[in-house]
Amino acid sequence: MLVKVASALNLGLHTLAMEVEVNVANRGLPAFEIVGLPSKAVAESKERVRTAISNSRIQFPTKRIVINLAPADVPKEGAFYDLPIAVGIVAAILGCQPPEKSLFFGELSLDGTLRHTKGALLLALFAKEKGIKNVFVPKPSANEAAIIKGVNVYPVENISQLLPFFCGQLRFEPVVYNEIHSRPKASRAEFDMSEVLGQEQTKRAMEIAAAGGHNIFMVGSPGSGKTMLARAFPGILPLLTEEESLEVTKVYSASGLIRPEGSLIKARPFRAPHHTISSVGLIGGGSKLKPGEISLAHRGVLFLDEFNEFPRLALEALRQPLEDGCITICRSKQRATFPSQFILIASANPCPCGYLYHPKKACVCTQREIEKYKKRISGPVLDRIDLCVEVPVADFRALSQEKRIKESLESSETIRQRIIKARKMQESRFKKETIYTNSEMRNKHIKKYCGLSKEVDQLLFKAGVRFNLSARSYFKMIKISRSIADLEGTEEIEISHMAEALQYCSLEKRDASVYR
Amino acid sequence: MKIVEIKSLEYPCLLRQINDPPEKLYCKGSWDANLFNNCLAVVGSRRMTVYGKQITNELVSKIALSGITIVSGFMYGVDAQAHKAALSVGGKTIAVMPCGIDLIHPGHQKDLYEQIIAEGSLIISEFERNFPPARWTYPKRNRIVAGLSQATLVIEGSSKSGTLITAEFAKKFKRKLFAVPGPLTSSLSQATSQLIKEGASLVADPDDVLGYYGLSRSKDSANPFLESNLSELEKDILKKLRQEPKEFDALCRLTKISASKLGTVISFMLLKGLVEEESGKYYVSKSRFSA
Repeated sequence: MLVKVASALNLGLHTLAMEVEVNVANRGLPAFEIVGLPSKAVAESKERVRTAISNSRIQFPTKRIVINLAPADVPKEGAFYDLPIAVGIVAAILGCQPPEKSLFFGELSLDGTLRHTKGALLLALFAKEKGIKNVFVPKPSANEAAIIKGVNVYPVENISQLLPFFCGQLRFEPVVYNEIHSRPKASRAEFDMSEVLGQEQTKRAMEIAAAGGHNIFMVGSPGSGKTMLARAFPGILPLLTEEESLEVTKVYSASGLIRPEGSLIKARPFRAPHHTISSVGLIGGGSKLKPGEISLAHRGVLFLDEFNEFPRLALEALRQPLEDGCITICRSKQRATFPSQFILIASANPCPCGYLYHPKKACVCTQREIEKYKKRISGPVLDRIDLCVEVPVADFRALSQEKRIKESLESSETIRQRIIKARKMQESRFKKETIYTNSEMRNKHIKKYCGLSKEVDQLLFKAGVRFNLSARSYFKMIKISRSIADLEGTEEIEISHMAEALQYCSLEKRDASVYR
Repeated sequence: MKIVEIKSLEYPCLLRQINDPPEKLYCKGSWDANLFNNCLAVVGSRRMTVYGKQITNELVSKIALSGITIVSGFMYGVDAQAHKAALSVGGKTIAVMPCGIDLIHPGHQKDLYEQIIAEGSLIISEFERNFPPARWTYPKRNRIVAGLSQATLVIEGSSKSGTLITAEFAKKFKRKLFAVPGPLTSSLSQATSQLIKEGASLVADPDDVLGYYGLSRSKDSANPFLESNLSELEKDILKKLRQEPKEFDALCRLTKISASKLGTVISFMLLKGLVEEESGKYYVSKSRFSA
């Protein structure tokens, strides 16, 4: 008897329709074969399915069973096909066809129960696009799939549950989406901005970065508080919008990072990979094309501490995603596109020993070593970072004793309210465009939305001569001043906005002073 | 390229007077006998502080403007800064290399090397054209630096440094020694403090050096900024910076204004040339310092 069960195949964030054909033949020697380019995990599915069916008190047929995974020329990965294969066999035993317009998806445990399986959200999304009404997924993954409205998601606990259903004896109720976390007020951050004493300039730079979605580079000695500031950063970011939430949850679903019973991700992701990361780990790829850290940081923050210590290859690979907001990974067998629209926070020491310009400790590096250290980050990468600040070493003990300073500290929430306003302005400005924030503006957008008055233009020109600004830096300055104007709620870029923006080109200033 | 032998009439007389003058001088750039009339050696630490940089710029640019040739050793730090300061006002400078003149050492100063040749100054060495630098060639070079000059000006240096070697040569050749005092908290003031104790002349003004050569400073152009044109906030900032250079954040706390407002004001002040930024701190610009 031939049974056809519909399922799907996830390739990156892309989903393909797949059919599992199960043929149980009475003739021939008893066998159990899977064809259709199964990988190791899929081929082993044989043993899992056989044992799971036996343990569910169903007699496994001693017949010739052949399973074809169609389309036969696409390599199959993962353990998602356990359920459709088992369903096919059970249906063949019962002599009935599985329900129409239904997708099956899930990994089996040996006792016949189903395990949490990654990619359930992508499956439900695919079902909705194709007009397939029912989706059968493991119970722990059901909530994740139920995020998509308009598709009946059936939580399957074990195989034996399916038997009466196929015979038409049991009414199976689709799961109702249940948001586990009530909507959080803000993205969780380890620190509040009010816990950071001093560092007024860096805090302001972070505020601008958050408002316009700009990348930011912090240079400072060890102990100046770079890491603490970066970890406080998610707290001043606005929450994800509905669309953004879905985009982020898709990436996490594809990487299997959503917990059992997990729901939509509302907080902006914060990723801080260690500097020993490989370029594949950062960008994505591998034999199974997994999203890298840059995609996991999509719509959130990618914090690269000790920026200069990252492998050069990994840093250079950042160029395209920083520019385009997505990354396409091509391998001989497959290709995948992952989104990667993130705010990059990079931090580095000013020299190899870390104490250049330190008020108390002396630097022991030679000029040559410092030059070499700086050159580890190439110009094209730096060009894509709009804001640049030097983080001085502050005397926290002295600062904490001053009452006035403590009282004047702003909480993350206060700053966040200003940022939400600035983002609203950008939203209405870019209504007709495909971009969301000021940092994404290309030259044509700058021309259209950032008209400079004559005096602002003159100031920028003057600064260009004085600080040796490159052509690209001009555009950076305009983008930053746009964000500063947005924070203030003005439609026009005023001269004071541009003047403040000039504070954040310290790398150019520094390089100019070397040759002065 | 030009080779000047010791027997030649062109050979600088002052250099001939020392105990072991070099037999040959290899030169690159534009040779001019007048270049050697009034020479001042400017030496100091490689690890120049911001203070050292400011002082080097301030003193050397004014001294070079009065027509004195600045001689130094082309090392990074005070040496290179002295060459740059002299060239910046159109003055003349001589770089004495610790290696052959075809080598650029240190290599990252290629721009400076080319600028010296292009702008009518000189690069000299006693070593063959591709002779590599070695530990022993540096003191040899220092001997020429001191030997070419009527006086030697020491700007910064630690207690054991090449700077002191040059100063010793100057003493040995019976040349005048000048030293700029530095803050006693800095390890780079050790050499200058020691030299002043031993009798070197203290330099607080370019005129202290120029007087020795029988010259005086050409009149400075009038200060382009009048204090009265400044806003209250700008005056306040200048006042606070005159006491001591400060970081942005410290200034922010002292003036009690927001980082965003201060950023705006400071940018304007930078562009007007009222203040300067160096290694994360703001300074009152040198033209404003005496005001």
